[in-house]
Amino acid sequence: MIDTENLTRKFGSLTAVENLSLHVEEGEVFGFLGPNGAGKTTTVRMLCCLISKTSGQARIGNFSVDNEQDCLEIRKIIGLLPENVGLYENLSAYRNLDFYGKLYEVPEQKRQENIERLLRLLGIWERREDMVGTFSKGTKQKIAIARALIHEPQVLFLDEPTANLDPEAAKTVRDFILDLKKEKRTIFLNTHNLDEAERLCDRIGILKGKLVAVDSPKNLERSLYNRKTIVHLDGIGDAVLVAVKGLGMVKSVRVSDNKLILDIDNPERDNPEVVRAIVGAGGNIQYVTELRSTLEDVYLKLIREASGQ
Amino acid sequence: MRLWKSWIVTQKDLSVIRKNKYVFYSLMALPAILGVVLPVTFVLALNTEYTSLSPDQFTIAATQLINISATYLILISAVLPSIIASYSFVGEKVEKSLEPLLATPTTDGELLLGKSLAAFIPCLGVTYLAAAISASILDVWSYVRIGTLLVPNLFWIIGVAVITPLACIMSVEANVIVSSRVNDIRAAQQLGGLVVLPIIALLILVTVGAQLSTLLSVLVTVVLVVADVTLFYLSKETFQREEILTKWK
Repeated sequence: MIDTENLTRKFGSLTAVENLSLHVEEGEVFGFLGPNGAGKTTTVRMLCCLISKTSGQARIGNFSVDNEQDCLEIRKIIGLLPENVGLYENLSAYRNLDFYGKLYEVPEQKRQENIERLLRLLGIWERREDMVGTFSKGTKQKIAIARALIHEPQVLFLDEPTANLDPEAAKTVRDFILDLKKEKRTIFLNTHNLDEAERLCDRIGILKGKLVAVDSPKNLERSLYNRKTIVHLDGIGDAVLVAVKGLGMVKSVRVSDNKLILDIDNPERDNPEVVRAIVGAGGNIQYVTELRSTLEDVYLKLIREASGQ
Repeated sequence: MRLWKSWIVTQKDLSVIRKNKYVFYSLMALPAILGVVLPVTFVLALNTEYTSLSPDQFTIAATQLINISATYLILISAVLPSIIASYSFVGEKVEKSLEPLLATPTTDGELLLGKSLAAFIPCLGVTYLAAAISASILDVWSYVRIGTLLVPNLFWIIGVAVITPLACIMSVEANVIVSSRVNDIRAAQQLGGLVVLPIIALLILVTVGAQLSTLLSVLVTVVLVVADVTLFYLSKETFQREEILTKWK
């Protein structure tokens, strides 16, 4: 649904985005992680035909961002939630959405239905005639999301959708994004929030001017160092150690207090056999846990490497 | 260019203007002063002085007043867009509402036209309202004094029907250009207001020599048409979404 090849944007001598190549599938939630100034917003603006590229290619569906006529078509099939909500404070919530519905060429009947559905879904229907200026930050963010969805776009670009929101409002927005995910919309999510990215995204791209890594959150977490299986016992006898070391799938064994720390390539497949071997050797297992790197560990490592630290 | 799209933008901007009390009162104040208070003051101040004049002398003296009042109407139409247009464009930037607006399937030209119309329509409407009231006051005065309606005369017709909208368009376009180069509403209003300087020069010329008025009005019309066409192309060049997003700070 979204394809870029060597997409580059320079502002004078500054290269904001360099040779970005990525592919986002239809119905996928793709997270774009990166520090401030990494080029996330510039990328979204290029994909939304708001600013031009310096070089490379980018397509949304069958339309190229190069062509002005295609850009009009792209704008019809995308919805954008920018970093700043940018609502008209002196107009009501309903009037704000109605204005954008008209610009997106949504027929009147459908427009009214969509406004009502979205505002009810976000719990703002009863306050639809209130001026936007009277709403809280979180509610404004919800209205801005409704605005991005008023024309039922195929692709949704969300730029920091929960930034500056209190935890409750952020949760409402995240839950709403999860609902959208169920509707199989393609979502391109710019965020600083690693937890949010991990919970919402099918795949994550880490950007620091250049694309540093792209993979699913799980695979990224595994990429830093192998997962370890930790077996907690009430005591570790020699028989248990011999049994575990004799297993071919266990690459290394370390003992710490009453814990066995095992390096296993495929824990999902091999852990049951390891447990059977320990129990067979007379070990009393209290519980089995996993030690893995977090997305934060991976993110910080990759960003530091990209910054040359 | 889809005019209906521009009209959607115009309607929205007009709603915003209606709800902004500062803009609304500013919009009403100038026409009320120059279009109503000023003619009333003229009439009250000069009525006694003109009592001794013959009907012909009165017509000549009153015509000069009528021409000056027409020039004030032109001045109103050139000043008002600096209030609205600066809100219309810089206001969007201040409210940070430009990015979602520019992400809609609307062309630069459609947005530009829509926003320009939103500045043009109320300014011209208010100016014409002031013109109607001003003309009524002057006509009542002349009818009472010499039994003739002196408004509209040729200069008044050209001034109000031709020069006023042209001056208004010039001011809107100048404000579009100014808005693209400044950061806040007050700066946009101050710089946009500079467009009235040539109109003030016209006002001075009319005040010192009423007999030149018709010739002068034709000359001013030609100059304004040229200025409008030039500024239109300049404003179109300025109003480009990439420029707006990356350089409007």
